[in-house]
Amino acid sequence: MSLCELTDIKKTYKIGEDNVEVLKGISLKIEKGEFVAIMGTSGSGKTTLMNLLGCLDVPTSGSYKLSGTEVSSLPDDELSRIRNEHIGFIFQSFHLLPYATVLENVLLPTLYLEHHQDGLKARALHLLELVGLQDRAKFKPSQLSGGQQQRVAIARALMNDPELLLADEPTGQLDSRTASEIIKTLSDMNSKGTTVVLITHDENIASNAKRIVKISDGLLV
Amino acid sequence: MDKFLNIISQSVVAVRAFKLRTFFCMFSVALGISAITIIVAATEGAYKKAYDIVARFGPDSLLVTSGGEEARAVGRFDKTLTLGDVEAVKQNFDTAYVVVPMSAVRNINVSYRDKKYQTTIYGSTNDYSRVWTWPVIQGSDFTDEDVNGLRNVAIIGKYVVEQLFGNEDPVGKYILVKNIPVQVVGVLSERGTTPTGANLDDRIVIPITTLMRKLQNETTYISTFRIRFTDQERLEQRQEEMKQFLRARHNLRASDPDDFRIVSPKEIIKFLVALTSSLTIFLGVAGVISLFVAGFVLANLFLLSVKERSKEIGIRRAAGAKKRDILMQFLGEAVIITTIGGLIGFIMGYVSSNLLKLIAEFEIYFSWKAFAAGLLLSWAVGVGFGLQPARKAANMNPIDAIRK
Repeated sequence: MSLCELTDIKKTYKIGEDNVEVLKGISLKIEKGEFVAIMGTSGSGKTTLMNLLGCLDVPTSGSYKLSGTEVSSLPDDELSRIRNEHIGFIFQSFHLLPYATVLENVLLPTLYLEHHQDGLKARALHLLELVGLQDRAKFKPSQLSGGQQQRVAIARALMNDPELLLADEPTGQLDSRTASEIIKTLSDMNSKGTTVVLITHDENIASNAKRIVKISDGLLV
Repeated sequence: MDKFLNIISQSVVAVRAFKLRTFFCMFSVALGISAITIIVAATEGAYKKAYDIVARFGPDSLLVTSGGEEARAVGRFDKTLTLGDVEAVKQNFDTAYVVVPMSAVRNINVSYRDKKYQTTIYGSTNDYSRVWTWPVIQGSDFTDEDVNGLRNVAIIGKYVVEQLFGNEDPVGKYILVKNIPVQVVGVLSERGTTPTGANLDDRIVIPITTLMRKLQNETTYISTFRIRFTDQERLEQRQEEMKQFLRARHNLRASDPDDFRIVSPKEIIKFLVALTSSLTIFLGVAGVISLFVAGFVLANLFLLSVKERSKEIGIRRAAGAKKRDILMQFLGEAVIITTIGGLIGFIMGYVSSNLLKLIAEFEIYFSWKAFAAGLLLSWAVGVGFGLQPARKAANMNPIDAIRK
């Protein structure tokens, strides 16, 4: 069973009077433990694809099975639960809460767990250690460099131990040296068993993945 | 439950993080709640005072005064009640345990040695002290013989003692009332002023027979009489009986208005509460308006905040927050702010009403009611005006929210 199985996924947005078809029939399988890069230029539909993969949105038509469960027609609350338990997001501009500490940011996904779990704080601190920021737990995001902020975001994305890590242009705002550090961190996580999907327009970055999927004008090429 | 606490903890964090928003919302709620607090306390104070006065008036008493409503309205104080009426009431109302006639003459010169001033002279029978539950603290009340014998004796109020005697003991001394020597036999305890500002202690009480003959040149008519009943619970029924009884005695036809007026404890409460109610209404309107203003301030600042924090909402949604989790967080922020605002408002109301008490004759009584009203209203504002912004936050599309 594939972790992600997309079959003939179409997505149409209504912009004013016009229907714009952003994804025009995408079929894709991602296996557990893979490190896949989805590459495409802006406007190719790669972000829409990531939103669908991350259950932030549902397709207009087609089937998306996540660990065998059809998720394309689930209600909003169910999608939220799946994001909470199974998916971790990493964004281009880090998206940390500015008024919360590093530790509080890492703990964010645990706030929305349906059931109480023990040892969350210890796990958060452990993750911070993994990304090399154990001594920054009490800092505010504004006191960290861009690379450090993105590493906090990675720790946050891993907090609820997701099956799928989605990184949308994670290095877009970082210099090349920091970028390669972040990519290395993602590779490390992948080698520990986490499935990583990297969305990027940058060929160099994509080349770090074990498989590259190219998307152009709403279709895989 | 854990999750609920988690989300409320996020509300607390946001309340602390967005200080300016918190300050303005809290301040405007506090203003409204302080006004409401004062109103509730003032209304309670008015009622409490009214009940105090009724307790002194006697919850088992009626006061019958000469002249109907209409005559009063045009300024005529016709005397229509007679000593005969008083006697007849005594005979016909079994449960009336005291019936005391009363008349008064205003602006009478009184003097003791070289001190003189003008006061009101009341005529009554020996039951005056008992019928008004007004103890004689020095000397004694008059006796039946004093009344029947038209004797020149008086019991006097505290203010009269101050005016005429200073520190001297007045009992047994003679004062001149309109040049008639009258012996002081007793002093009434201090009673203070009425809500209308009349000084209750500025009075001289003499036997009604003496007053009518010697000051009024009158044999029949009196201005009021008072009755106390043993069956207090049937006071309303007694009042109606009294009305019919007097109408019959005065030979009034069905179409004639009453030529007397019966004052009951209920009416006193109504009257006293009405005195403070204009202020209460003013404050009430001001309070409600300011609460609405507070609500709109809150709603607007929250809408603005939701817009500014769309990214935060997107992040939380991506991390797995459900719509209702976001709703709960923002509503929680609103209610926390208004609750604290409400508590501050209560304190402000408490302090300012104490100041108000110093400036104006204004009864304030704080009980849990003022506190509860403030708290409930602040919650109402928080939920009522926080709901729409919170809904807006919850219904934000996470994809759009995160890209902003």
